[in-house]
Amino acid sequence: MYKNNTLILLISIFLISACGGGSDAQVQETPIPPTANQPDGTYNGPPAATADVQNFKLNVWDNLATQDKCAACHVQGQQAPMFARNDDINEAYSIANTLVNKNKVSDSLLITKVAGGHNCWLSSTSACSDIMTTWLEAWIDTDESATAINLEAPESRPVGANKNFPASPALFESNVYPLLAQYCSECHQSSASIPISPYIGSSDVTEAYLASISKMNLDTPADSRMVERVRDEFHNCWSDCASDAAALSTAITNMADAIEVTELDANLVASDALGLFDGTLASGGGRFESNLIAKWEFKTGFGNTAFDTSGVSPAIDLTLSGNYNWVGGWGIQLIDGKAQGATSTSKKLHDLIVSTGEFAIEAWIAPANVTQEGPARIISYSGGDDRRNFMLGQTLYNYNALVRNDNTDINGEPALNTADADEDLQAALQHVVLNYDGNGGRTIYVNGVQTGDEDAIEGSLLNSWDDSFAFVIGSEVSGRSRFAGTVRMVAIHNRVLSDEQVFSNFDAGIGQKFYLMFGVSEIVNVPSTYVVFEVSQFDSFSYLFTEPFMVSLEPNANLDGISLSGMRIGLNGREEKTGQVFATLNTSVNGANNNALGGKPLSAQGTIVPVQKGPQLDEFFLSFDVLGSEQSVRVDAPTPIPALPQDIAAQAEIGVRNFDEINASMATLTGVSVSNPEVQASFTQLRQQLPSVSKIDSFLTSNQMAITQLAIKYCDTLVEDNALRSAYFPDMDFGANANNGFDSIMKDAIIAPLNARMLGSGIDSQPGNTEVYNEISNLIDRLSACSNQNNCDADTTKTVVKASCAALLGSAVVILQ
Amino acid sequence: MQSTSPTKVFRRRLSVGKLLLKYIGNIAMLVSAIAFALAAFVPYANADSLTQAKQMHDRLAGIPATQSTLLEMAALIDQGNSKQAAYIAMQSPDFYNVTLKNWVTPWTNEEADIFAPLNDYSATVIGIARDDIDFRQILIGDIIYSAQGVGGVPAYSMSNNAHYETLENSGLDLADVLTQSTQSALTGLPTQATAGVMTTRAAAKSFFKDGTNRAMLRFTLMNHLCTDLEPLKDTSLPPDRIRQDLSRSPGGDSRIFANSCAGCHNGMDPLAQAFAYYEYDYNVDSDPEGESGQITYNNEGETDPQTNSRVTAKHLINSNNFPFGYIITDDRWDNYWREGINQTLGWSEQLSGFGYGAKSMGEELANSEKFASCQVTKVFENVCLRQPQDTADRNAISNITASFVSSGYRIKEAFAETASYCAGE
Repeated sequence: MYKNNTLILLISIFLISACGGGSDAQVQETPIPPTANQPDGTYNGPPAATADVQNFKLNVWDNLATQDKCAACHVQGQQAPMFARNDDINEAYSIANTLVNKNKVSDSLLITKVAGGHNCWLSSTSACSDIMTTWLEAWIDTDESATAINLEAPESRPVGANKNFPASPALFESNVYPLLAQYCSECHQSSASIPISPYIGSSDVTEAYLASISKMNLDTPADSRMVERVRDEFHNCWSDCASDAAALSTAITNMADAIEVTELDANLVASDALGLFDGTLASGGGRFESNLIAKWEFKTGFGNTAFDTSGVSPAIDLTLSGNYNWVGGWGIQLIDGKAQGATSTSKKLHDLIVSTGEFAIEAWIAPANVTQEGPARIISYSGGDDRRNFMLGQTLYNYNALVRNDNTDINGEPALNTADADEDLQAALQHVVLNYDGNGGRTIYVNGVQTGDEDAIEGSLLNSWDDSFAFVIGSEVSGRSRFAGTVRMVAIHNRVLSDEQVFSNFDAGIGQKFYLMFGVSEIVNVPSTYVVFEVSQFDSFSYLFTEPFMVSLEPNANLDGISLSGMRIGLNGREEKTGQVFATLNTSVNGANNNALGGKPLSAQGTIVPVQKGPQLDEFFLSFDVLGSEQSVRVDAPTPIPALPQDIAAQAEIGVRNFDEINASMATLTGVSVSNPEVQASFTQLRQQLPSVSKIDSFLTSNQMAITQLAIKYCDTLVEDNALRSAYFPDMDFGANANNGFDSIMKDAIIAPLNARMLGSGIDSQPGNTEVYNEISNLIDRLSACSNQNNCDADTTKTVVKASCAALLGSAVVILQ
Repeated sequence: MQSTSPTKVFRRRLSVGKLLLKYIGNIAMLVSAIAFALAAFVPYANADSLTQAKQMHDRLAGIPATQSTLLEMAALIDQGNSKQAAYIAMQSPDFYNVTLKNWVTPWTNEEADIFAPLNDYSATVIGIARDDIDFRQILIGDIIYSAQGVGGVPAYSMSNNAHYETLENSGLDLADVLTQSTQSALTGLPTQATAGVMTTRAAAKSFFKDGTNRAMLRFTLMNHLCTDLEPLKDTSLPPDRIRQDLSRSPGGDSRIFANSCAGCHNGMDPLAQAFAYYEYDYNVDSDPEGESGQITYNNEGETDPQTNSRVTAKHLINSNNFPFGYIITDDRWDNYWREGINQTLGWSEQLSGFGYGAKSMGEELANSEKFASCQVTKVFENVCLRQPQDTADRNAISNITASFVSSGYRIKEAFAETASYCAGE
């Protein structure tokens, strides 16, 4: 047996190279399989000799030994290695064992071949590679190998030269500033009516320059933040966004062209430099996927197909349509688009889920906002706007879960919604799981934690599911009820995920992660010493740097006590302006602490660093205020100059009294207390109709109506109170008959006290005493002109006094201040 | 200002009023409706002392003065002592009941609602003004004003505002009935947990209720340093103290965080950490508005059941939004704005720029140059009825701020000097 295996191995190796497997071989993508000698896909050979052989058959052979994949060639009597042979599974197992690397599955020949384009059965080699990886990992227990990360020392290289911003704003002033001063100063300066930072449009050019530095990219001007803001975000373009952005970009280019390339500041203590892909790949392991039936990782990055890389046939490959973008670090951004599978392949979900009666939908998503509703369809398996097998949706801050069963309608309603008060859904990258179990119903998890929302609907089997529906992400199959946001991964399992499994999958994170090892050996004088960050592409615009630690690859190296402070991340030869979370770090290495990689943790925090030239080109380094015995020499930042205040248009020098002032003024001018119940009732009723601000230009007709009513109430109260009116109008005979008219004595008795108290005397800002007297006098004449239309009764005299009082009390004489 | 003469307006309104009379039979309505046009809206650039006195009294007390008071004030103005004239106007109870109350009330709620009822926040500022207490104490002191023992007014309560609402509705002279006491005695907060108006019940109800307590800092900045966070945005500062609850990729776009969110939160979060032990406790089901809620504080030895520390649970919410964000473990605050563009707020060199708890953080804010100039600017806008608009106004504010500070931060001094400046010429 041993001899046989060895022989097969040797033949296999020979034939691999003979069969187009050599490095010089021409790769043909997606060839048409030969028509002759096709296996029929049914295995009739000897049974699996061991459990592992059976495991291989179930997880690998059953998947790849089909006519559209490896069995088109690699079967008995045809091309070696014959790992897809269908005459003896034990032989196929033996051959396959020579093609896998059980210590590092990703290095297996079966994977690297398809990853290199060898007869990939899909249009994306990465999708073929992922599917092959899934099959192999399912066969080989990868739990141990997933955590066995060996840090590999990167090639040491110094920080590259680059362009830096000069101290003088002269170049900025002559190139960029004219545009900013003309088009951005209306808001972006401190004296604007609503000042919006950064003050790039400041009338002080130095202030504008300092504010603009972080918004300009001298290496690639078109990537400058201020250019992107106009070009990509259409931020207050002054004519056409594209041409405005081009004008800005040209201005920055002109400025950059005049700046010499400079080396990294020699006064900085800096590490070696390296790129993202120089790092050691951190395993994305730790995910629980034993019952995975469909999975989309959106790794392709181009085209309009999102491949189902679960490895479970048939693959539900999704067609992208509408307005969408591929995002960096894997994912799709749906703006007004969707990703939909065919009904024929979507049937897989029906078949595999109905048979178990339970499932879990798992997704990494970042909703674009917390205002969309409908619910907005995040993930749905539906046949129309009102019928579906399941759906995960968004309504404002809530997730909605719909699952059709015996106790719901055909739309899966009533829905299970997360509680309003919890605001579980955030416009942030979130891991969300919807579990459904025939016994327990629906359960929602967000970021690894169950939301605690109870399903009021009893679970049941899923026999009512319709197998003619289509799986869709981002909208209804009709295109309605769009979801806006980023989808970075979706997985469907045909068993529920336990609490631990949900957390484990959340904890495993999303995207490709690297350990970036920044060499500091020469600084700390310990060989092979690195400050290491776990780095991944956070989204299209940023890298995520987390949990730095110091490690030496030298056995028995002593890092204990090395002091480290003010660590900053540099990008393309310059310290990054933003996101310097570790700039405040002040620590020393504790030799007794070890993380899983043997490193000494420096911080548990993380930060995001903007993508500049892209993951392939960006080069990172670290700088330190203090590292070991070395210290950076930094020039103090210039003291900021307070912005020059600007004059504003002249405003009115006068205003109106507000509600309380009017009330208090009327009280003091009439002698009626503000606590008088009738007055107080009127004031309470009119309070919010009276002026709330003193601005004269805010005065409204409705304010005057309220003032009038309150004035009448005060004057009425004054005149109806014997004691008050006697004191106020000592010469007035309130019993006089109005039919006799009001002579000058009576008028004096009314007007003189009012004028004395309300107008005052000798005050230039008040109307003239005589003018007011005459107006009130005329008023009294008109009101006391008894006739058929105006019957004067016993109360008319009092009414005339009240009216005269209110005319003054409710007028600008009192209301203006 | 229309060209129509006041008399013509008068006549036109009269005819409208007659119609009203015909239908509603209310003669007084007729007369009053006509009368607003009697005085012209003509600004008067040159005012004699009596006119100046009227304007000062109107603006300070909110009500017209008696002729005798005006004459007394005018005499002082003629003697070149207009500040003393202003102090006469401020003897009016309505300076406290009306002017100060309405000046302060909008600060006590997020909506800046001037119609909000009197509360312990506004009463405390009124009391501090009346007693000429160092105005910085509004952000620092173990101080509160109430009207204990006044008939018909319920006692101060930790869990409702009835005491102050009744007091306001009674029309009592606040300057007369308000008495000074300590929060530690009246509310039970430990002395070190008191920080002027920030730890009053009204402020807690407005700014500690729900959320993450950042609102207390934001509204304190708006109301007492005259700046919202937007003008303070400075993305160059280290964002290491930004908590986990803040998404680093809002809607999937990390640029928004890096260029906007971080610019404010990098300074705000380390300052707002001073409020780590506070909460506004209320029954969300039976009392969703929190009318019967009260401020709570985890004193030494008291732990929050969810955090197992003195830090209240609200400070650790949504921790999975960014697990690598800052985790609050105590109430240490740091003022990152002592670096970068916000040095221009004028932080005191006598202070260290860090500390523990709201009291020392309030001290940091209150000792900034911006705090003093903000108080004077607010007084200016209240008394002059406009914003500072030109060099003369700015110089006036600068001078008044200097004497406000040298007077020991007595706010009436600022009112007096400002009223003199805006009395007309």
